[in-house]
Amino acid sequence: MKNNKHRLIERKLRTVEKRLIDLITNMGYLKGRSHKASEITAHIYIHQEATQKILRKLTGYSLGTISTALQALEKQGVVNKHSDPDTHEYHYELDGTISQIGFRSLTDVQRYLSQMKEFFREIEAKLSHPHLSTKKGYENIRRFLDEMNTLIPAYERVMQRFQTFTSDFKPKREV
Amino acid sequence: MTSSKVSQDPHRFDPEIRQIEQEIVEFFAEKSPEFTGRHPIIATVLTYFDIRRSLTQQDLQDLTGFSAGTISKSVRQLVDMNLITKETIPGSHKHIYRMEKLPFTSARYFFRTEKLLEEMEKELKEMKDTLDTHAEEMKDIKGYQKIYTTITQLLELISTMPTFMALIDEEIGKFIKENK
Repeated sequence: MKNNKHRLIERKLRTVEKRLIDLITNMGYLKGRSHKASEITAHIYIHQEATQKILRKLTGYSLGTISTALQALEKQGVVNKHSDPDTHEYHYELDGTISQIGFRSLTDVQRYLSQMKEFFREIEAKLSHPHLSTKKGYENIRRFLDEMNTLIPAYERVMQRFQTFTSDFKPKREV
Repeated sequence: MTSSKVSQDPHRFDPEIRQIEQEIVEFFAEKSPEFTGRHPIIATVLTYFDIRRSLTQQDLQDLTGFSAGTISKSVRQLVDMNLITKETIPGSHKHIYRMEKLPFTSARYFFRTEKLLEEMEKELKEMKDTLDTHAEEMKDIKGYQKIYTTITQLLELISTMPTFMALIDEEIGKFIKENK
């Protein structure tokens, strides 16, 4: 009887875990990650640390798929890896709490915006040759640049103000 | 190789313009995965929509060189992300995909994002309630603490999003209204 109840409760927990994995996977997919990469990210979020073999067992994906997803997560600063001195296996660890990673990724957007600005300056220079203004497709590029030139400064202000908010927000929650 | 790509250009962009466009596409295909986690193929297809606005799956195949399957998957994901819409071309069974305006400037896009965040918050709260209700019986089961921590941290992160959306509304709202 007690065992039955325990099994029922365990099943309930596994159902919540499955829902959580699906929810995080969906979040990643809607951000533009591939479904597989999103699912691998979901498992890393929950387990906080894992090896490639563990992730293969959890997801059923190939080691190649897992390795590619982990490399991308490492590049984004979501995980960092360290080698186990005994097994020489790499362990991938979540780099901070989910909120910290989320806030950090928003800060990274500022770097992204600044690289965009620099890149668009080069594009503007190329597009400024007078002979191009009558060419087919010029208007499309021009409109895109005009929109981005308006949006980037606006987004920079959003990020600056949000960064101020999150730096106030974190200590309050940690007290 | 390049000339065949140019001759297949669905909108017949001038080769010099096409070259500039490809540089823009390559920039986002490289940078977007690094900074936003977006898949390079998604970033590539999305940038073509940013610039050209209306495209068929065949157009995208011609522009990118990706397979029909890859393009089909990509446009489905972009529709799911609410970045583009799908329409049937009258008198045919073909579809055209459109981006009305840049997603950052679209009120519809932000409305959907807000709604999505609300749904996620609701679902996370339900999960947390289940774990709280059965805390005594579940706390020693493997994984309980990690699942609980993940839910709590996601709720914390989502709780900051209304502020973020309000800032966007304030800073970019003027631009949205101007472009309606």
